[in-house]
Amino acid sequence: MADVFAEFVNGAKQEPPAHPLDQPVATWTEREVLDGAEVEAGVAILRTRGCYWSIREGCAMCGYFNDTVPGGVSTEALLAQWAQVMRHLDGKRYAKIYTSGSFLDPTEVPLDFAAQAMAEMHAAGVEKVLVESLPEFVHARHMDYGAAPALEVAIGLESATPLVLDKCVNKRLKWDGFTRSCANARDAGASVKAYVLLKPPFLNEAQAIDDAVASVERAAPHVDKVSINPVNVQRHTVVERLWKRGEWSAPWLWSVAEVLRRTADCGVRVYSDPTGGGTQRGAHNCGTCDRTLLDGLTAHRLGGGMPAAACDCRGRWKALLAQGGVRRDGAEPHGYRRGFRAGRGF
Amino acid sequence: MEPLAHEGLGRLLELHGRRTPLALGADAGTKLLPGKSLGDGGVLKLGRRKLALPSQPLGRDTAQAPFLALSDDVAVLDGAAAHHPRQLVEMLAAAREEAGWRRLLYAPTVEPAGMPLLAYLGVDLFDSLTAELRGVAGFRLEQGDWIPDAKATAASNRKALAGWLARIRSALEQGRLRELVERTALHNPRVTQLLHHSRDLLATRGARRATGIRAGALSFDHPAVNEWRRRLERFAPPAEGMVLLLLPCSARKPYHWSNSHRRFHRTLRSLNNWLALHVVSVTSPLGLVPRELEMLHPAAHYDVGVTGHWDANEREMFGRQLERLRPEDNYKKAVVHAGSASGMLAELLRERGVEVLETGAERPVSGAGLGALGKACRTALRGVASLSGRDRSCGEATGLAQVQFGKLAAPLLTAPVQGRWPRLRLGELANFSPRIGGFALTVRGAATLAEAGGPVVEATEFRLRGDLFAVGVTGTRGKFRNGDQVAVEQGGEITAAGVARMAPSEMVAMERGLAVEVRNRG
Repeated sequence: MADVFAEFVNGAKQEPPAHPLDQPVATWTEREVLDGAEVEAGVAILRTRGCYWSIREGCAMCGYFNDTVPGGVSTEALLAQWAQVMRHLDGKRYAKIYTSGSFLDPTEVPLDFAAQAMAEMHAAGVEKVLVESLPEFVHARHMDYGAAPALEVAIGLESATPLVLDKCVNKRLKWDGFTRSCANARDAGASVKAYVLLKPPFLNEAQAIDDAVASVERAAPHVDKVSINPVNVQRHTVVERLWKRGEWSAPWLWSVAEVLRRTADCGVRVYSDPTGGGTQRGAHNCGTCDRTLLDGLTAHRLGGGMPAAACDCRGRWKALLAQGGVRRDGAEPHGYRRGFRAGRGF
Repeated sequence: MEPLAHEGLGRLLELHGRRTPLALGADAGTKLLPGKSLGDGGVLKLGRRKLALPSQPLGRDTAQAPFLALSDDVAVLDGAAAHHPRQLVEMLAAAREEAGWRRLLYAPTVEPAGMPLLAYLGVDLFDSLTAELRGVAGFRLEQGDWIPDAKATAASNRKALAGWLARIRSALEQGRLRELVERTALHNPRVTQLLHHSRDLLATRGARRATGIRAGALSFDHPAVNEWRRRLERFAPPAEGMVLLLLPCSARKPYHWSNSHRRFHRTLRSLNNWLALHVVSVTSPLGLVPRELEMLHPAAHYDVGVTGHWDANEREMFGRQLERLRPEDNYKKAVVHAGSASGMLAELLRERGVEVLETGAERPVSGAGLGALGKACRTALRGVASLSGRDRSCGEATGLAQVQFGKLAAPLLTAPVQGRWPRLRLGELANFSPRIGGFALTVRGAATLAEAGGPVVEATEFRLRGDLFAVGVTGTRGKFRNGDQVAVEQGGEITAAGVARMAPSEMVAMERGLAVEVRNRG
């Protein structure tokens, strides 16, 4: 019998639109910390075939398949993309090279292309490069690049709770597999960053915070830093369906701050840079205090103190958390965050 | 667990000393308790009793059947607060098949304004979660509505919610839940949509309950009113070639007890061949009420404000009602004496090619009006074949039985028709009951109907002295709804006739509560 949840995930998906193959999905720069100093990091998303798991079943919250090319991208096209990325990385010491899948999956990003890219970055003076991968591909033989910047591998742990992975995310990840991957990466000389989801679909706000905190605490000994990813609403996903139906809403920014507060002593750097923060599709609060908290999160990511704000929506957030034990889904009454007031008017 | 009353798909249940529908956390002594681990649905507390809830719907698409999450005692309609009205009605339509009658149906986190309607559609349990959050946000619950109030708290809203649920329960007990639903729907778009989409569900599966209808703007969709209009299709006038006489309705029900209709009657009685006049009363929201049917629910049980103004909706409704009555085939000609509605009705009749005589009386019951009525009828009856009292009674019995029993009426009508309306009898099979408003079956009548495939409730063999309770019911045959007349069969023999007070599957499932109100025993 087909898994009901897998069917739900696949039912939400749609064929990605046609994309130009010689253009990266996007490039931008952002502030980052490298060896204790603030630097400008160059970020690029390569357009590839995409995540193998997404092709088979996919995860409930992930809409990155929208940016992929189902037929795959030739090495020539990848090299054409890379030429543009290299121009973008000019003068940068820190690079983040994403794909809409796993950089370390050799069937998605060919090894020879990866090695060439690493060599070019090394030659251009990039000191550290961040790539993302599913844990199953984190192995020394996939990271054997020769001359390369220091490597940082980001692994999506999402949650350390098997039930959440199985029933909320649809990711077949075993805890042992994750720790083995972390060890593999460290043995290969790379540092490890883990992604932990905040509020996967189906969980309510309180459960989401508890689960994220537990996941960070469990993962901390195996990794070098943890990024808290508040789930945002990406197109053609289960999350989008639940969100449109009103059965789930994006996490509060208070929840993000709460997770950071509760994991401050876990021994590794924990931070968050919410995608789509302050919008209805991303982590948000009442609309009045969003900017303050988002700025606080950025400051915290770059080494500052805990994000803080004073706003009356915090009381509403606390009341919602108090119901965490008995709320059966991640929804809240429509307009609750704003206190059921209309928008700012004109 | 004992059902005390039904309305629509809703039920008033006696449950461990409490009555449902209730709101967990608001009604005293009820509570939702958290689960022990992630995904565990937790427990609901009713006094000292604890009922386990089904686990959280992790990874489940709540818009796909099966819609309900089930535990031993509770069925949860996840997403009830969020789903599109059409989807939600679809889920509620499937609810009893999925959950059975012995599980409590719980709709989490719904708005108080939605509770009367959801209770009407069969939900037993609600909770106070949404009301609490509203309190924290500074809104107070008042008559199901949110009023901004800085002093509101979660606790004060829980109390107000308990009051709101008490009101729902008393409305359900009185058979006035529909009114509460219509009132909340009037200014709540979501409830309006839900009510609209649940029209067919209520009309085909709701309990028939003979409470009065105090008609309002939304009564056009009242299940009993709807059903009335549809049942008119099965109706035929007492004889062919009669003269249709359209009269206004009266405030007093049934109409023939009213002063106005008595005066009409005195006028008509003096005419030659007056039995060939077929009186049909004109009313909103029912449309047309033939004389033989005026004791039936809801014709004898409604009240409506009369303004003398007929709007487009009503005009359309009369048009459709006339279509069902087919006056062009069924009557020789028509006399219209219906006050303010006369012009509209005469026009509608002429559109159908019926020869119409208008009395033109502004005030139908005045001396002048009655004079005009007598004159018009005398003219209309000229040349109409005379109709004997016996033939007319036979025709009236046929029309009434067909409206009441549909296809099953034929075997009943083999019995000789005795008496004059309204005191008609069908031999030993049925006699007229004012409470039923039509033919009430005797044991022999119920047996005759059962042989023809009519509704039968199978009961264990014991000496039936009073009513039949659910504990004694072993099965049912034939199709019927709560409120229909049924036969009770014990050991292969029909032993009683009465009115079903539960839905067929419900009386089989439940162990307590009145199943059949027995009227006649063998």
